[in-house]
Amino acid sequence: MNSLIVLRTLGMLLLCEAVTMLPPVVVALIYREDTITAFLASIAITALLGAGLFSIRVKNKIIRYKEGFAIVTFGWLMVSILGALPFLFSGALTSVIDAFFETVSGFTTTGATIIEDIEVLPYSLLFWRSFTHWLGGMGILVLALALAPALGGGTFQILKAESPGPISTKLTPRVNNTAKILYVTYTVITLAEIVLLTVGGMPLFDSFIHTFGTLGTGGFSIKNASVGAYNSVYFDTVITIFMIASGVNFSLYYIAFREKRLAGFLKDTEFKTYLSIIAVSIILVTLNLNGRLFDSVFESLRHASFQVASIITTTGFTTTDFDIWPDFSRAILFVLMFVGACAGSTGGSMKVIRIHLVFKYMKREVNRLIHPKAVRAVKIGNTSVQEEVLSSVMAFTMFYILIFITVTLFLAMQSYDLISSAAAVAATLGNVGPGFGIVGPTSTYSALSGFSKLILCFCMILGRLEIYTVISLLFPQFWKR
Amino acid sequence: MRIVIVGAGKVGYQLVESLTKENHDLIVIDKEQEILDKINDNFDVLTRKGNGISSSLLKELGIEGWDLLIAVTDSDESNIVACITAKKIGVKTAIARVRNPEYVVELQFIRNNLGIDYIINPEYATANEIIRLLLNTHASYAADFAKGHVRMSEIIIEDSSNLAGKQIKDVELPGGVVITAIMRNGEAIIPNGFDYIMKDDTLYIMGEKSVVDSVAKTAGVRIINNRVRNVMIIGGGKIGFYLAKELERLEINVKLIEQDLERCRELAESLNNTLVLHGDGTDLTMLKAENVEGMDAFLAVTGFDEENLLVSVLAKQLGARKVIAKVSRSNYTSVLETIGIDNAVSPKLITASDILRIVRGGRIVSISLLIGGRAEVVEIIPQEDTPIINKPLKELKIPKSIIIGAILRNGKVIIPNGDSIIKSADRVIVFTLDSHIEKVTQLFSKKGGGFSIHELINSAKNAGDAASM
Repeated sequence: MNSLIVLRTLGMLLLCEAVTMLPPVVVALIYREDTITAFLASIAITALLGAGLFSIRVKNKIIRYKEGFAIVTFGWLMVSILGALPFLFSGALTSVIDAFFETVSGFTTTGATIIEDIEVLPYSLLFWRSFTHWLGGMGILVLALALAPALGGGTFQILKAESPGPISTKLTPRVNNTAKILYVTYTVITLAEIVLLTVGGMPLFDSFIHTFGTLGTGGFSIKNASVGAYNSVYFDTVITIFMIASGVNFSLYYIAFREKRLAGFLKDTEFKTYLSIIAVSIILVTLNLNGRLFDSVFESLRHASFQVASIITTTGFTTTDFDIWPDFSRAILFVLMFVGACAGSTGGSMKVIRIHLVFKYMKREVNRLIHPKAVRAVKIGNTSVQEEVLSSVMAFTMFYILIFITVTLFLAMQSYDLISSAAAVAATLGNVGPGFGIVGPTSTYSALSGFSKLILCFCMILGRLEIYTVISLLFPQFWKR
Repeated sequence: MRIVIVGAGKVGYQLVESLTKENHDLIVIDKEQEILDKINDNFDVLTRKGNGISSSLLKELGIEGWDLLIAVTDSDESNIVACITAKKIGVKTAIARVRNPEYVVELQFIRNNLGIDYIINPEYATANEIIRLLLNTHASYAADFAKGHVRMSEIIIEDSSNLAGKQIKDVELPGGVVITAIMRNGEAIIPNGFDYIMKDDTLYIMGEKSVVDSVAKTAGVRIINNRVRNVMIIGGGKIGFYLAKELERLEINVKLIEQDLERCRELAESLNNTLVLHGDGTDLTMLKAENVEGMDAFLAVTGFDEENLLVSVLAKQLGARKVIAKVSRSNYTSVLETIGIDNAVSPKLITASDILRIVRGGRIVSISLLIGGRAEVVEIIPQEDTPIINKPLKELKIPKSIIIGAILRNGKVIIPNGDSIIKSADRVIVFTLDSHIEKVTQLFSKKGGGFSIHELINSAKNAGDAASM
């Protein structure tokens, strides 16, 4: 493996991270907070380390699969470690594990927190915490690619390793232009939500925070009761719509913009499946809730749609304590944690397209029993899916379930109850955030042991980087020449 | 520039390699996912599996308004149709590779009536290149630039050469000549004064034609008697056919050996004075019987690199005066000189340099790819407002691997030094390693660039493809 180019790219990534730590400084200045030194120190450390690595001279600039995997995995680890510094330096968090957990949860857009009372934190830290969602949503390396000059051949490997979904394609011939287009699209939608929330009466700072949480499908709030604290139908509706929008493949927006029509959405099988799943889930949950928890259909619909959108897009905002919902509704939410959003979106978990393909694959296998000689291709819309992609999707699904089972067993072993253990793993592996039981919407992950937190951090990164990128590094063959 | 390449075979791949170095936006279309994956791993381009003649695919890729489509699939017809389709969709320029000799007669018609701007015929170009080498007085490679005023010549340093073992600063070169590069063990080196010239090196010298020739002479390069009378060609494929046809025209006696009897009949029908022989070109008795030792030149142009190389070595040992082999894979170029072959031509490199010349536009007069594509000689007429104009060369921070070899001004050759200034009507001959071609392009192109929101919106309007997942 070409480790020099890996280190140099990591250096560039850290320089970018140092730049992204500047907005919280501005926030600290505005609110006259003393966290400013904590941020400046973190910036200095990150920038120095980054500059050091970036100055490495590299002869061979080719990035292949291995380098791509290594850059992305180590990149995410380093970004999380350095991103935790402001929490530690400011004294807001004293435990290193807690700070790391919070940052990983931020960058992976999980939104699982260990902070019991969030409302006492300084604004600048709250801003940074949510800003990590925004950065991690579209991908911090994609940002680095967009900002930095072309790194040389093979940067597509980085994009492939970081962006979610079984098949990655570029929007334009060049990776850095594709990255720019993605970020511009992302920024435009972000601004739209900030404006809509502010117009509806949310304080500007709060609308920034909740927009970061929505667009990155993260879910960090600045209220202990999350979005429920505002108790506003308008905010709920706006956030619901934007959560669903953030779970859509972002290249669809670009295509719609380029072609000036919405045909791309209607042609996209994944998009249609995604909307159908949301619609069916909302109807079922509404029927289940109505008359039991809420008196009016409207109230049931309002909370059902917010919570369904929040869970399927793996955001994790809450308007109400869904842990006290009837079991059927909770079961639906639990299943949705495994479905996740669309490929190429900021959402996490297994992705609608994979679920779709798994079902198509199963259908083909059943068909094979009926017509043993039949030759069939699995198709998405009208394009057939390559067999390699199919088997990779099947293996991904097995990996996902295996990891889920293993970590659940591990948590149960430490005598956490089954529901809480399973929910904690599903919620971190799927980058959702709140689960059920002791990690439910009204509580935090602080009750878990330090080691469990680290394991869950690993789950979050595995989930965000879609398993293969990380797990390939754990195989000894990866490091052999 | 925004360029679509249809067909990622040998030439397609070489083009991707050269064009990405110059910062063009590329889309590559091919039917084979495997080759596209290889391209994706190595270059920052957009690849798409599919058929390049499909208008819906081309439209979907949003290539309307793009600058260039190059069709280099292995089918002539596909290439032609792809170009026509692209032109109808709104691509500005189209280049098709067409190799069937029957179409060569129709080239004018195709160009004028089907709207294809350039037709590239690799075999025809290769045959022309071989003829040029054949009629060249040098034993080795030489190319002329600036309307024939400037010559670049290859000198192979033999034991007897008076240059061997000298430091470059001690070599007394007459005014008007520079050593641009040294090739040693297959590596290209841009020398400075302290480098030594060693035995078996290949020097590339550039300068005024007559001076270069005299230097070559004193350095021990054999100047061959220019009179070529008898030529033997092995391989009656397209290149062999074009060669025989052209040599006939030059009133040179040609013996052409071809293995396939049916092909021999075809050749005999379409050629007039060529002696077509049916037999195996590697057959020693046959070569001897046909008097290979008396040949002025021996051209091996079968479809197999290995066979060409082998039979060339054989012919050289038997006594053929000048031996030229066609070698498609550039990996072999580094071993050629060690096995005693005078020249090797690669259709792939010739085609690629022809296309590159078109891509780089009118400013560039000619391009030669050297040393297996690892170095280039480019002849450029610089325009106003480019960085290279009206500034002493020493102020330009030109990287070491770019050498401004010669300037032609008002019919006079100037060998520049640090104080020389390039003016807008000059012809400039630049030698560069391929890693710095982009820099050359920068020096000779107008200022501006960088990414802006405008560009994004434009690219949003026109460019690129997006997959739905």
